[in-house]
Amino acid sequence: MFNEKTMELLVSSFPKILEFGLKVTLPLAATAFVLSTILGVLVAMVQYAKTPILSQFCRFYIWIIRGTPLLVQLMVAFYGLPLLGIHSNPFVMAVIVFTINEGAYSAETMRAAMEAVPAGQLEAGYCVGMNYMQIMWHIILPQAFRTAFPSLFNALISMVKDTSLASSITVVEMFTRTKQIAGQSYNYFPLYIEVAFIYLIFCTVLTFLQKKGEEFLGSYGIRK
Amino acid sequence: MALLEVNNIHKSFGGNNVLKGVSLKVEKGDVISVLGPSGSGKTTLLRCINFLEKADGGELVFEDKKYDLSRMSRASIAEIRMHTGFVFQNYNLFANKTAIQNVTLGLTSARRVAKDKAAKKAMGVLKKVGMGDYADYYPSQLSGGQQQRVAIARALATDPKIIYFDEPTSALDPQLTAEVLEVMRNLAREGMTMIVVTHEISFAREVSTKVMFMADGVVVEEGPAAEFFENPQMERTKEFLRLTGK
Repeated sequence: MFNEKTMELLVSSFPKILEFGLKVTLPLAATAFVLSTILGVLVAMVQYAKTPILSQFCRFYIWIIRGTPLLVQLMVAFYGLPLLGIHSNPFVMAVIVFTINEGAYSAETMRAAMEAVPAGQLEAGYCVGMNYMQIMWHIILPQAFRTAFPSLFNALISMVKDTSLASSITVVEMFTRTKQIAGQSYNYFPLYIEVAFIYLIFCTVLTFLQKKGEEFLGSYGIRK
Repeated sequence: MALLEVNNIHKSFGGNNVLKGVSLKVEKGDVISVLGPSGSGKTTLLRCINFLEKADGGELVFEDKKYDLSRMSRASIAEIRMHTGFVFQNYNLFANKTAIQNVTLGLTSARRVAKDKAAKKAMGVLKKVGMGDYADYYPSQLSGGQQQRVAIARALATDPKIIYFDEPTSALDPQLTAEVLEVMRNLAREGMTMIVVTHEISFAREVSTKVMFMADGVVVEEGPAAEFFENPQMERTKEFLRLTGK
């Protein structure tokens, strides 16, 4: 099966597949990850503060998003948004869906991490005259972010792979590109192995970055 | 004129009446020790005065301004807290900040003091509590006594008119307790106004100007320290002092 022709195909297709990985898959995942983290932090803050109506709205959002498949959410957005008169290109739509989807999960991760910061530090902040937002910014969020970092990075690694689902709404990302090349040559199996390998490389690099990130964030003198 | 006056403060948790009309008067320079068995409401009293708990009723007079403790606006709470310090039983240092950052934060963030000015001030108070050499240590790298001394420095840095101590040595062993009490003794000597909820009877006897004995949510007996210990009037007080061995 891995004859000379196949080897040639693998070599010639590698840069073509990688190109879409770097141009579409990674930017999609990175953008959605950054936006979803911001969304997650905001939703977590609303819940941490137990803001009356907003808090219930956030619970509802998390309930809906966690209770439905990502693929279905992509489809709903793809066919539903145009009905509401919202037309946008598939990439942007994918960014939006991935952001809203991941936001629900990172909101829970962040909320748990915020609640893990001892409440006494919040009280101590008040007692030195700081207001709620100052305490959030200087005390609670930095510690929560440090705690949540490995989980959030987990989500990023998942998302890099889940971007392949964007192919279902016509986004030509790394996996779709692989399918196209495979379709031209009728030689599917080796190319799917090849794309799997590229995903693996991406995630290996991310794992390395996670380690570096954790070192950078430090541990406030614990276990030094 | 009293610096701080608390009149008829009430607080209950659920159906449990923790404070049943406690009053308190603090003059400038007073060191008031609040004694009493566990569950007497001492800590709740302190937390209500600094709005960490919302009192159900009562009046607070701080620097000649009257406040209804059950209806404090956010603005008045913030205003009063600018002039008070609080030291917790379990220190509550900011875990993500070094000792000096713990001290400067109340200045730079809450009071908009310039960074270099805040750092200078912070170094001064850290030295005062004997923690000058530990400015760049994180709380996790310090002993309990050192953490509590940093917490005292944090309270001192904002030049409070009064500092509340909530059982500041209860989580410490005798040696660490001694080093924290030494710092508090120096503060008292310098004329800092303090309310100290404590189980340290000898500290109360030596350092405080007034002693207040609480039980079951009321003040059983209060008076000048010497009088309180030499000649207690109430049966309950006598029993407490006998049980604590003094």
